[in-house]
Amino acid sequence: MANQNGSIYGLTLLCPILNDENASPSHDLQIREYLSNLTADSESPFAVAPGTHLARLVVMDDVIYVGMPACEEHLKSKYLVLESNFDGDLDNYLQGLATTIPEHLDAIWSHCNGYPGSADKAKFVQYMKNCQLETTFLFAAVNDKTVTQTLAALQTQRAVAHFVAEHQGVDSAQTQRDFIEFLKILDATPPSKPAMNAQPRNIKTGGRNE
Amino acid sequence: MSNINGKVYAMNAITPMRPWKTWILRLIFFVLAKVKSKQQDLINLSFIEFARWVIIPRNRFPFLGDTQKRESLKYDYLLFFSNFNGTWNQYIDAFSAVLSDGLNLIWRWSEKFPGAVPVTPFKDYIARVQFDTDYYYTAYPEATANDVKSAHIVQQELNKFRVQGTTCTPEQFQRTYLEFLIAVQAHLGSTGEAPMVS
Amino acid sequence: MSKLNPTDLQGFVLRGYNMPFARYCFLHFENPTRTRELLGRLLSLVTTGQLWDEKPKSTVNIAFTFQGLAALHLPLATLNTFPVEFQEGMKARSRILGDTGVNSVEHWEDLWREGHVHAWLGINGLSPEDVTTQFEAISALMTETGGAHCLGFQDAASLFEDGAFNAKEHFGYTDGFGNPDYVDICRKAQNGQGKLDKDGKWTPLATGELLLGYADEAGELPVAPVPHLLASNGTFMVYRKLHQNVGTFRAFLNKWSVLYGAGDDYAKEKLASKFIGRWRNGTPTESSPDAPDPDILQKPDESTDFKYGNDPTGARCPLGAHIRRVHPRDSFGFEGRLINRRRISRRGLPYGPLAPAEDPTTPEEAAQLDAVDRGVIFMALNANLARQFEFVQQQWIAYGNDAHLGNEKDPVMGSHGEGEKFVVQGDADPSNPPFVCSTLPNFVELRGGEYFFVPSITAIGMISKELVDPR
Repeated sequence: MANQNGSIYGLTLLCPILNDENASPSHDLQIREYLSNLTADSESPFAVAPGTHLARLVVMDDVIYVGMPACEEHLKSKYLVLESNFDGDLDNYLQGLATTIPEHLDAIWSHCNGYPGSADKAKFVQYMKNCQLETTFLFAAVNDKTVTQTLAALQTQRAVAHFVAEHQGVDSAQTQRDFIEFLKILDATPPSKPAMNAQPRNIKTGGRNE
Repeated sequence: MSNINGKVYAMNAITPMRPWKTWILRLIFFVLAKVKSKQQDLINLSFIEFARWVIIPRNRFPFLGDTQKRESLKYDYLLFFSNFNGTWNQYIDAFSAVLSDGLNLIWRWSEKFPGAVPVTPFKDYIARVQFDTDYYYTAYPEATANDVKSAHIVQQELNKFRVQGTTCTPEQFQRTYLEFLIAVQAHLGSTGEAPMVS
Repeated sequence: MSKLNPTDLQGFVLRGYNMPFARYCFLHFENPTRTRELLGRLLSLVTTGQLWDEKPKSTVNIAFTFQGLAALHLPLATLNTFPVEFQEGMKARSRILGDTGVNSVEHWEDLWREGHVHAWLGINGLSPEDVTTQFEAISALMTETGGAHCLGFQDAASLFEDGAFNAKEHFGYTDGFGNPDYVDICRKAQNGQGKLDKDGKWTPLATGELLLGYADEAGELPVAPVPHLLASNGTFMVYRKLHQNVGTFRAFLNKWSVLYGAGDDYAKEKLASKFIGRWRNGTPTESSPDAPDPDILQKPDESTDFKYGNDPTGARCPLGAHIRRVHPRDSFGFEGRLINRRRISRRGLPYGPLAPAEDPTTPEEAAQLDAVDRGVIFMALNANLARQFEFVQQQWIAYGNDAHLGNEKDPVMGSHGEGEKFVVQGDADPSNPPFVCSTLPNFVELRGGEYFFVPSITAIGMISKELVDPR
């Protein structure tokens, strides 16, 4: 199935937005307003919920007219698009969202047609699946690593680069002793949180200039 | 609205297709998925983290009943979502320069597609069919696809080296440490803030 | 348009004049009518691309900022067709260019901070007197017509060592190997200077990468201002005054060569070669990693004919070395097609006195060497500032992702903050170890600059006669 590439799942949702002429501002504008105030850092709902590499939310107003001789046509609803690239299994992922960020889900999706709320997880999962489009083709540059593994690897890379720079011209016995110590510290350091800014020198390596 | 978060750009595009052409495109994607060598250019281009194409047949827009009206459309639609590193212009320039055959194969079924070469009409078309992202999240805003790949190489080499590196004699260490350095030396780039694009 | 008309081109667009002295004057316009008169009178002095029977004693060329074209009252409908980056000017683009820290606008010379420069007028000459004579003649013309006044000028000259002029810059590297070949532009094509074709052979780049009005590498006419006659045979020029911290550079090499090798001359020269990707005499490290070829300057083909395909780890030429960054050749695969629209042509000369041969022995001596006003006047020509110069500056000099180096910058040209590093890739050979320079200082500092439009002879005439019709 094209929704999956290696261990990466590509979820595409199109959720019809309520078209209530009495609503002011309209529901699509309320979604846009909420999203424009939503943080994308480590407090982001997608950072709080597990498993998301990259995700986006888009209010799709309409299809786009490309000009004559193509026909002009329009959608009857606006749609909220969720495009997410995450680790593993769809049911687990949706349950994880409902468990960890219900208030954000409800605040956004309550403007959509037929949204049952996140409290009843079975109904929530079924609703999301009803809005799902099958991805025709999914590309992933790295398709065998989880978010946690990638964050850990980025941390390791920074630490190793620092260790190497600090041990030029240091004799090999000392370098080996420091290396053993370095591994202990690296292993004991929790992986950085998702969507955090990098900390260039967060691991002391006991090298030449310190 | 923001199409950019750190080092990634979120592109959304939607193009209309006559329904009979949709079947040809499905066949092309089917082959692309089965023949991995056909994806090699996409991999070598190395600045796309994730990308997807989604065909929506004209009668398959999600319908939830309730107060929603059913869509009535003449065209099927091709949705394209890309998460790429670098600037919009850089991305389309590169696509046009090295992947034009592949792009033409995918988009020539869309109405009014001008072809991926020359680049200016192609850019005009993309700009016309692109719609903007309201909210964009990435778990690693300070890393590109290249950065992530490099980091995994360093991790893998460290995992290989750690056992021997901690147990061998200092004399052996000198040699194996050099081997480790040679294995990681092209992958030690630092991550951080993305350049300003506009 | 297909065949090149050298009599309609400003000469320095086609080729460097190979004259050792230059004065770059910066003009301000006050009255469009009088400026048009001045341009009309200057027209006969402007050096074209026509081949010389006998080399003149001096040359004259002219280029305009966006403010200058506006001061000449070009129609708004034409002004608006100039690219945004040219309209904004270099100062406004400093964040995009990564001109931060010591390179930021607040450290620029007043001339460039104030933003009153309307035109660049370049005089090249065989001797300082030839330059001055021409400068005085043009100054008289400016006074007589009241068409412009000179806000200031920058003198520049080739370095003179051992009784001869050479092509070196102040860090001691021989410069000027990197200019691309273009179709129909009169240089003899040289391997390594154009683009790679499908068979891995070098051929010249499309003319439209340099000149407006000709097909470019995207298979179209470059995006250009209208009317076409104003743009055709013209190009855009980048001017940057780059100060060189000679003391810092020499002290850095002395300090780090001790860790890199034995700290002797060989280690120092080898480390210096890794920064640029060329030994200081110009020999490419890619083709000659262990020692410079003393006769390289007599072998122009060998100085440019190489690729990086067999050196993916950078053991010969580091992935972050200057020339591998700014002209990656086949490094990114796809037979180099990702880089063909990112090439620029360099012009310009060093400025300031030659530094004494003795290396600094104390930080104070290094600081004294740094304080002397010397560096290079970097001028680059390209059809599209954003796609060519700005891209190279932003993505390849101030950033490293395309080279798989994350955020790392060009070791020599980059604007370095605290703790920025340069990795010298190596191999198991003890004389070529993997090495990290982990605290890069700023070797080069930007002192100002601007973007200019270099019109054709026809276009200068149109401007001077107020005949620019935007349609």
